[in-house]
Amino acid sequence: MRIIVDKAKCQGHARCWAHAPDVFTLDDEGYILPGDIKVAMGDELLAARGARSCPERALEIDGTAGP
Amino acid sequence: MKKNEVASSPVPDHVPPELVRDFSLFTSPGMPPTVNGDPHAAVACVHAGPPIFYAPHNTRDGRGTWVITRARDQRRVLQDTETFSSHRSIFASALGETWPMISLELDPPAHCVFRSLLNPLFSPQRVTALEPAVRERAIALIDRIAASGTSCDVMKDFAFPFAVNIFLRFLGLSDHRLDIFVGWGKDLLHGEPVKRSAAAQKIVSFIDDLAALRRKVPVGDFMTFVVQAKVEGRPLTDKEVRGIGVLVFVAGLDTVAAAIGFDLSYLARNPKDQEWLRSKPERIVLAAEELLRAFPTVQMLRVATKDIDFEGAPIRKGDYISCATMIANRDPAEFACPDTVDLAREENSHSAFANGPHRCLGSHLARREIVIGLEEWLARIPAFRIKEGTAPITHGGHVFGIENLILDWC
Ligand code: HEM
Ligand code: SF4
Repeated sequence: MRIIVDKAKCQGHARCWAHAPDVFTLDDEGYILPGDIKVAMGDELLAARGARSCPERALEIDGTAGP
Repeated sequence: MKKNEVASSPVPDHVPPELVRDFSLFTSPGMPPTVNGDPHAAVACVHAGPPIFYAPHNTRDGRGTWVITRARDQRRVLQDTETFSSHRSIFASALGETWPMISLELDPPAHCVFRSLLNPLFSPQRVTALEPAVRERAIALIDRIAASGTSCDVMKDFAFPFAVNIFLRFLGLSDHRLDIFVGWGKDLLHGEPVKRSAAAQKIVSFIDDLAALRRKVPVGDFMTFVVQAKVEGRPLTDKEVRGIGVLVFVAGLDTVAAAIGFDLSYLARNPKDQEWLRSKPERIVLAAEELLRAFPTVQMLRVATKDIDFEGAPIRKGDYISCATMIANRDPAEFACPDTVDLAREENSHSAFANGPHRCLGSHLARREIVIGLEEWLARIPAFRIKEGTAPITHGGHVFGIENLILDWC
């Protein structure tokens, strides 16, 4: 699974990070780092939950990409 | 001022009569102080109606606003700061002045400059470091309540002293004037015009004096950081320092307390949920998100910078647009059974802390306070309920709240 990050939309809610701190990395201001994220198999559930909790809809789940 | 004339005028000509609704966050049923009220349920009914309508008296000073009901549309408004501006000088207007509260009433790009300055101080990482102090404060207050009997007024004895202490500590202030500060906040948010300007004046002088003091004798606190800070290579002006100080002071004063009040009020009335959460403290983090979704407290206002047709409604330059979090969070298009509190709801992209660049700067701190408050309360106070013969009084308005919450337990 891959998560497509729309950095411009991120407003630093940190909901993604709250669900899966190992998957989503925040900068010093608390906003997500740019660049899409490859999710390891074991992290998929929490990563998906984190992505779906983003209040800005900045994270899109791409389920077609393998880990 | 012209704007005030608009206030008393009827619905503007460009608003089609069929889009006018008798609705107000200030005067509709359930919005003025109400015994055993449920102000959130009272506004959720707008979802039966159109995505946007015009409410003729929907600000504190009686102005009309457009009301956006769908969560998706509210995101669109709040993310589009070019069309929907935050420049309103709400606070300064109580003094007949026009300086903005920073960062609340600035638009990008100036907004971004100040957010970048302040974000690191309120980041999730930074808030984690405050956690031991927050927990210690919660425990001290609750232990005192538990030791002194089997009943208390949650607002007076726990929610306010807890939330206000934490944020005074954050600002670097001692809490011996806590009651005075809470009183200023109440007058400012809910008082009539004379009280409002008096409170605003007191808060401004307090912040100005504090800034002057920290300029002379720096200590390692928030105001010292602000008076020493630089943006774009220059120090902040006095007005900017004041704009930041006043906002942080006002924003943290009663929002967290109101959230804790609504949460404990819900749990007191729903013993099954209360018991479930007490037996599964690890679920409190998620449950707190659901409670934030169901009982958010803030209405956001924006001003149109140009004419725009929005979902069929003719918004004109200068019109006010209301994005009420309590309405967005009950949108059936985004939340299954929105009026049911489901403490186990997993994916909860609610907007209690706003959307767009003005996302609540204090959101990470507020979340930790709410979670820790609930954890320590449930761990220390046995099965509690609303004390018989008492009734909480709730209110709507610009910031929803609960005035008293008398609980008892055996
Ligand atoms: C449960 C508690 C809280 C809720 C529900 C809440 C909600 C909100 C909302 C909805 C906004 C957006 C307002 C707008 O765009 O017009 C906001 C902004 C803000 N909040 Fe909070 N807030 C809470 C607690 C706090 C605390 C504890 C602090 C400070 C320590 C704080 C500081 C701020 C600041 C500085 C802004 C302005 C951000 C900006 O415009 O860039 N809030 N809050
Ligand atoms: S939840 Fe969304 S807005 Fe928040 S940090 Fe993650 S990506 Fe950014």
